[in-house]
Amino acid sequence: MEGAGGGGSGGGSGVSYQRFPRVRIREMKDEYMKFELRDTDASMANALRRVMLSEVPTIAIDLVEIEVNSSVLNDEFIAHRLGLIPLCSERAMEMRFSRDCDACDGDGECPYCSIEFQLNVRCDSDQTLDVTSADLHCHDHRFLPVDVAQRALAAEAAGGYDAPEQRGIIIVKLRRGQELRLRAIARKGIGKDHAKWSPGATVTFMYEPEIHINEELMETLTHNEKLSWIESSPTKVFDLDPKTDQVIVADPEAYTYDEEVIKKAEAIGKPGLVEIYAREDSFIFTVESTGAIPAYQMVMNAIEVLKQKLDAVRLSDDIQDNDDQFGDLTRNIQGAAL
Amino acid sequence: MVAWGQDSAGVDGNSLEKKGKLESDYQHLRELFKPHVESFDYFIDAGLEIALMNIKPTEITDSSTGTKLRNILFFSSPDLLSPEREGGRKSMREPVFPYECRQSGGSYRGKFTAEVCFQYNDGAVIRETFNFGFLPIMLMSKLCHLRGADPRKLVFHKEEATEMGGYFICNGLERLCRLLILSKRNHPMAMVRKSFCSRGDGYTDKAVVIRCVREDQSAVTVKLYYLQNGSARLGFWIQGKEYLLPVGIVLKALVDSNDREIYVSLTTCYKEKYHRERGAVGTQLIGERAKIILDEMKGLSLFTRSQCLHHIGNSFRPVMGGMETESYSVVGDAVLRDYIFVHLSSNHDKFNLLIFMLQKLFALVDSTAAPDNPDALVNQEVLQPGHLITIYLKEKLQEWLSKCRRLVQDEMIKPNKNFDFYNLAQVKKIMDRNAGTVSRAVENMIKTGKLASSSGLDLPQRDGMSIVAERLNFLRFISHFRSVHRGASFARMRTTTVRKLLPESWGFLCPVHTPDGEPCGLLNHMTATCRVTSNFDSQGFVKDFVKIRMSITKALIGVGMTPSLPRLERAGPPEVLFVLLDGCILGSIVSDKIEKAVAHIRLLKLSAISGIPADLEVGYVPLSMGGAYPGLYLFTSPSRFIRPVRNLSHHSGGDTAIELIGPFEQAFMEIKCADGGDGGRSDSFPATHEEIHPTGFLSVVANLTPWSDHNQSPRNMYQCQMAKQTMGFSSQALKFRADNKLYHLQTPQSPIVRTTAYSKYCIDDYPMGTNAIVAVLAYSGYDMEDAMILNKSSVERGLCRGHIYQTETIDLTKKSDKSGKVLEIFAKSNCPDQNSELDADGLPYVGQIIHPTKPLYSSCNTLTNIPKTTPMKGSEPAFVDCVSLDGTTKSHLQKVNIRLRRPRNPVIGDKFSSRHGQKGVCSQLWPDIDMPFSAVTGMRPDLIINPHAFPSRMTIGMLLESIAAKGGSAHGQFVDATPFSSCSKSDGDSPSESDSLHDYLGRLLTSKGFNYHGLEVMYSGVFGTELACEIFIGPVYYQRLRHMVSDKFQVRSTGTVDQITRQPIGGRKWGGGIRFGEMERDSLLAHGTAYLLHDRLHSCSDYHIADVCRLCGSILTATTIQRHKRAVREISGLPPAKTPKSYTCQACKTSTGMETVAMPYVFRYLAAELAAMNIRVSLNLKDGSNI
Repeated sequence: MEGAGGGGSGGGSGVSYQRFPRVRIREMKDEYMKFELRDTDASMANALRRVMLSEVPTIAIDLVEIEVNSSVLNDEFIAHRLGLIPLCSERAMEMRFSRDCDACDGDGECPYCSIEFQLNVRCDSDQTLDVTSADLHCHDHRFLPVDVAQRALAAEAAGGYDAPEQRGIIIVKLRRGQELRLRAIARKGIGKDHAKWSPGATVTFMYEPEIHINEELMETLTHNEKLSWIESSPTKVFDLDPKTDQVIVADPEAYTYDEEVIKKAEAIGKPGLVEIYAREDSFIFTVESTGAIPAYQMVMNAIEVLKQKLDAVRLSDDIQDNDDQFGDLTRNIQGAAL
Repeated sequence: MVAWGQDSAGVDGNSLEKKGKLESDYQHLRELFKPHVESFDYFIDAGLEIALMNIKPTEITDSSTGTKLRNILFFSSPDLLSPEREGGRKSMREPVFPYECRQSGGSYRGKFTAEVCFQYNDGAVIRETFNFGFLPIMLMSKLCHLRGADPRKLVFHKEEATEMGGYFICNGLERLCRLLILSKRNHPMAMVRKSFCSRGDGYTDKAVVIRCVREDQSAVTVKLYYLQNGSARLGFWIQGKEYLLPVGIVLKALVDSNDREIYVSLTTCYKEKYHRERGAVGTQLIGERAKIILDEMKGLSLFTRSQCLHHIGNSFRPVMGGMETESYSVVGDAVLRDYIFVHLSSNHDKFNLLIFMLQKLFALVDSTAAPDNPDALVNQEVLQPGHLITIYLKEKLQEWLSKCRRLVQDEMIKPNKNFDFYNLAQVKKIMDRNAGTVSRAVENMIKTGKLASSSGLDLPQRDGMSIVAERLNFLRFISHFRSVHRGASFARMRTTTVRKLLPESWGFLCPVHTPDGEPCGLLNHMTATCRVTSNFDSQGFVKDFVKIRMSITKALIGVGMTPSLPRLERAGPPEVLFVLLDGCILGSIVSDKIEKAVAHIRLLKLSAISGIPADLEVGYVPLSMGGAYPGLYLFTSPSRFIRPVRNLSHHSGGDTAIELIGPFEQAFMEIKCADGGDGGRSDSFPATHEEIHPTGFLSVVANLTPWSDHNQSPRNMYQCQMAKQTMGFSSQALKFRADNKLYHLQTPQSPIVRTTAYSKYCIDDYPMGTNAIVAVLAYSGYDMEDAMILNKSSVERGLCRGHIYQTETIDLTKKSDKSGKVLEIFAKSNCPDQNSELDADGLPYVGQIIHPTKPLYSSCNTLTNIPKTTPMKGSEPAFVDCVSLDGTTKSHLQKVNIRLRRPRNPVIGDKFSSRHGQKGVCSQLWPDIDMPFSAVTGMRPDLIINPHAFPSRMTIGMLLESIAAKGGSAHGQFVDATPFSSCSKSDGDSPSESDSLHDYLGRLLTSKGFNYHGLEVMYSGVFGTELACEIFIGPVYYQRLRHMVSDKFQVRSTGTVDQITRQPIGGRKWGGGIRFGEMERDSLLAHGTAYLLHDRLHSCSDYHIADVCRLCGSILTATTIQRHKRAVREISGLPPAKTPKSYTCQACKTSTGMETVAMPYVFRYLAAELAAMNIRVSLNLKDGSNI
């Protein structure tokens, strides 16, 4: 993870707080990722989490022009539902925010900042028709709704057969004679503005636990006591070695810092049976994506956004130096120093 | 034809999925509405006919010819039709459906006709049919088109699939008759009341009161007052005036008897050997009192029956209408028949009852029997809508008859008219003139809730008889039909005794579900299991009370009752107990045998073939020392409360052992709770009955609170209140409704934690909240004092989103002139720039957004051809949800309903509540990333509440709900949270059941890797550091209450002022401000903020500069002087210079003393008001610099 430990060169006071965080990826799927972040502190980890949730840009439907809506749901409801459909947003980083776009006035025609979708469904059969995300049509296939894109991939893999049980995200159901016709414009945005632009379903991290079992004290327990002690943790952290009858740490990361085992040890009358510390500089991240961006991309984009933000801080620092408002002040201070 | 809306054939999309729903699913819901529907059915089936038969025939005598020609009028064969299209062709009978009435603002009513029989002298009876107009028809009654429709058919007719009826539609509003508490019919009640003393000299505060009800449900109350001298007076009301008769006269007038017989009958209840024994109600004083009563007769020299009748007739002939020519004894008979113990027909029964009442009165006076409490449910019944309408209609018809009589007589007197009394057509023409008033009166009663009645119908109140059935949400709607009001007169009473929750109402009225505040304890709700006896038996046939009474009498004689006829020398309590059936003395049973007799009757109640109704009330009041007056009181009458319990002595068990009991008998029964224990009963009083389920004493709404048995009781009361204010899914047929205001939650959910009542009453069809992830912690300080923090992202994803639907009805016919010519039509101006937002027909587009003050519709005057736009009311934008047109008007479209939709997304200041009386106001929409997050799942809460909400309120149920919902959602199942379910598991498998509930919930959590207590380690969203303690977090069903800031906020800088005082007006509707009152003034004074005070109370209020005359000190005499107008040269572009105004004092005729003084305008107003009263206000002006 190159250069992400930014801010190291700040100050000028001489002492460098620069650290070199390490990342080890444990598991990586399209929508799920688990990695370790070491040699940094909670502020960094939390910053990463916050940026992933709320500042990595994605594409989502933002403007809906309803032409015909004779469905049971009202216009705002449908517009709201459309907005929450995740769209493939791998290109989002390259796109412009429509408020910053110079090339257009945000009417959806602009290729740099917006994508137009069409939806035109009418039910003519006696059976209830589900209007789903698959009915959203767009000329650009890179911006399909996530589930549609995934199914297309899966269908390719399966040899062109579409899984019939999956019909996409339902927007509304239509009865005979009802119709829904609309034009929707998707734009780039960030989760801070509206939750629909948030690419992360869940982003969480935990401090890596360090578990020390006091083996001597542990051996004073009977087999049943050991079992009940192990059972006291709601998650499977400890286990009993069937051969040696020793308590072993099965999965330290399953520990939720609930201190149930410590309380249990005290209840047995063996305080200090186990000592558990949280390592202040190691974090285990779990990232789940809505599918708009692959989890890996989400992390990378987050680092990118974080870098941009730091650049902005540095830039504003420079500006402040030349600021006229403080010009006199800085000159005075500098003058005095000289 | 009516064509409502553009999509009149379209039915809710959900309806297709409703295929599986059967009528039987809604059976329990229907059961709740039965008192309303069944009583109206009775009105249709039998009540109307009985009422007509009981109307007194009216005679018209032709006095002018001198011959005694009579025309007797009476009613027969009434006919009430189902609602049909009014004004349509006769050959085409088109049914009108309720939704059409709701949309068009019409009434759901059917034609009411009846035959009036005419008989000249003793000639043949001629029948003429009269049209009495249209009577409102209750929905789902036998005349309603929707009766018996299955859910699919209901949906087809644009109704709810659950539609239960029970209400009327009047002018498009859904109104229902309120269930009122009345005193129990045909039951003599001993009462002590201060007001009785004021009847006259010598009256005491003690009386026995009986409310007698005729077969046609009309009632007459008779009071038997005790006098200080030992005698008694019988009081009854005729035409709003109370008449008092010495009881001896009535006794003698009723039957031919001698003094000895009366004396013996009265003194049966005293025997020396039982003196001061248990159950001895008589004392030796009774003999003396009997003598006094008889001596009074002697004093009046009335000895025989005919003398007494003559005496009564003589006194009452002037007040008995229409009997002016009858003989005194006939009038006397009529008084006894029409006003004394009207529920009995035979004079012997009346005599026996009067003797019984006298004995009870004397027992009350001698304190050998306790007074009955009129506030206890034991002595109460309920007024049902059908009965109310029956008696009201009867009175109106009676009034109509006497009015007709007057009109015909007036017509006969008129000299020049050639009116022929013997020409029936002419008589009918006169009578036809105001036949419509009869049903109009009934409709008005339902519309306004006011009884326009001269007699008062023996009802406790004259207004508030009907209320609007609001569909704010489903629970509120149901509650209206389950509510029972004690009476409006008690609301103004200072004493709180009527409001008390008495143990007698256990199982009938819910102790939890009553509002707090003004109507507390007066407005109660029936429990979920409580029913009201009706005039229909279980097979749906109208009950034949004569037959029922016969079989009961037979059964009683079988178990050893001595009948009261033939009259023999009898004994009284404690030797024997009198048996009263519906206020009629049947006989007496020896007190040793009575218990066996009661048990036998109870068993007969349970068997279907005995001929004894299942809802018979067997009120056995045992002998006691100074307790309630003993006796066996049986009631078969309608309008009593009943509820099911299990009879333990019935061996078969199961459903056949379910007995229906009333509040009167309940007080003397041994009913144990269904928890398997015996409730601490001793062996001498073993339990004979058992509750079916411990939740049986809760109302429907109270039954929906999960684990309400773990909450502090007032919290459950608050929840009952708030459940009825929740914004929920108010209606499935929302699309076809035209309510003034409807609240609608966009994305409701079904609660994870629910009680059995939830599915029993199909609340899932109308869900009312959201399962929100609630974290209990103090975070950010914005959750202090019952404020709560909502997650901004959750709200953006749709949490608690809602709408308000408002319908505006625009009726242009109201603006037309009397001739009915169309004066105004919907039209749009041809001018392209004007009202371009509107469609070509002058109405708004569906789906369009209308901003405040922008046109809602445009209309055009047909005479002047000037188009006019009408702006939308309100200060916020609204969407047009639906425009529906009334197609009934012939030429031009005159009437439309525009339904507007106002989005109501959660904002700061909106009110939310859990189901445990924990309400809170949203204080912030907090960013998702700043919310604390769970270390394991990464979940951020939707909602944060403060832990301080729990210790003092003790809503443990909410904590349990959170744990249970967390476990339930992890396991993918709903969790049953029926209160008292732990104690209803009577098998006794575990002694400490309450522990095991927590254990069960804890295990649910631990099995999915959660903490046993529902705690989770959380990290601060801002710093990423672990929070100092573990946080209690889990899903809780949250309701959004209808109180929203956007409907309430009030802000004003300058604006409208009061015309008189020139102070700012109040009231949000008119853009007014909030009063800065005395208390607020005090606080500013205390802070010494003089300038702020001056600003608030003067500068921003009625600042005024007055011209005061220094010489006379008056502020009222200043007048302007008209200066000679100087020719001001107009400079182009500049306004002409204003000539400065100058003032002069009218009194001093000089302007030398004029000064300007700043003062509140009200001071000037005060001076003017005082001047009007000849008081002069004079001000002494001083120059400030001179002081």
